[in-house]
Amino acid sequence: MANVELALKDAMNSIDGAIGVALVDYNSGMALGTLGGGTDLDLNVAAAGNTDVVRAKVRAIEMLNLQDAIEDILIALSSQYHLIRPLTSRSGKGLFLYLALDRTRANLAMARHQLRRVESDLEV
Amino acid sequence: MLHERELVKMPDILTELQGLRTQVPHLTGGLVATTDGLVLAHDTNGLEPEGVAALTAAALSVGARLAEMTGQGVFQELLTRGEHGYIATYAVGTHVVLTLFAGANANVGLLHFEGRRVGERIAVQTAALLQSHDRR
Repeated sequence: MANVELALKDAMNSIDGAIGVALVDYNSGMALGTLGGGTDLDLNVAAAGNTDVVRAKVRAIEMLNLQDAIEDILIALSSQYHLIRPLTSRSGKGLFLYLALDRTRANLAMARHQLRRVESDLEV
Repeated sequence: MLHERELVKMPDILTELQGLRTQVPHLTGGLVATTDGLVLAHDTNGLEPEGVAALTAAALSVGARLAEMTGQGVFQELLTRGEHGYIATYAVGTHVVLTLFAGANANVGLLHFEGRRVGERIAVQTAALLQSHDRR
């Protein structure tokens, strides 16, 4: 089991093409931890912006009466992939992992697989 | 300090406050006041702006002293969370503060992001006003 800091480090180091990663509370829109990013990608702004994405999708699923949950959300930009993965553990309720990837260096299938592993190892 | 007569209308700042409502979901209002509690512009939707500005000034001075005493430097922001929502106060230049009210479901990250951004614009507008006042 890894704490937040270790999980973020693991994601940055083990996932090819990772630009930045954050653990975000979508009740408040605030990040519990961030790693990577920089001037081109402010991860605290990304946390706030993507909170609205997660909230909207959760609401859509509720409206559709699907009785289901988001496993992950993929957003493909022309130069980046953004992966959002809500935590499923009881202690991680209301949190999501956010991962930004460089499209030219990333392997999407591998990145999803690795992020699933990071999530399962993470203890909040 | 600013004279009451000059504060009758600050349409640009009011426009900024009203614009925030479309930018930040669950935002219920805001006001801009001087650090000594004088209201410059408000969009408070039923709340009594003078009273809120006076309380903001009091909270601000405590926050500023706390930040200074604990070695955290100049006051920047104050966030209060109540059962039904948030009150966020941002330093805007040295003599002016922006206070925003938001519901319990508000995105605080977004509130901070937009609050700081609008604060910077309001700082420019109020600095020009304070300068033109000082010249007289």
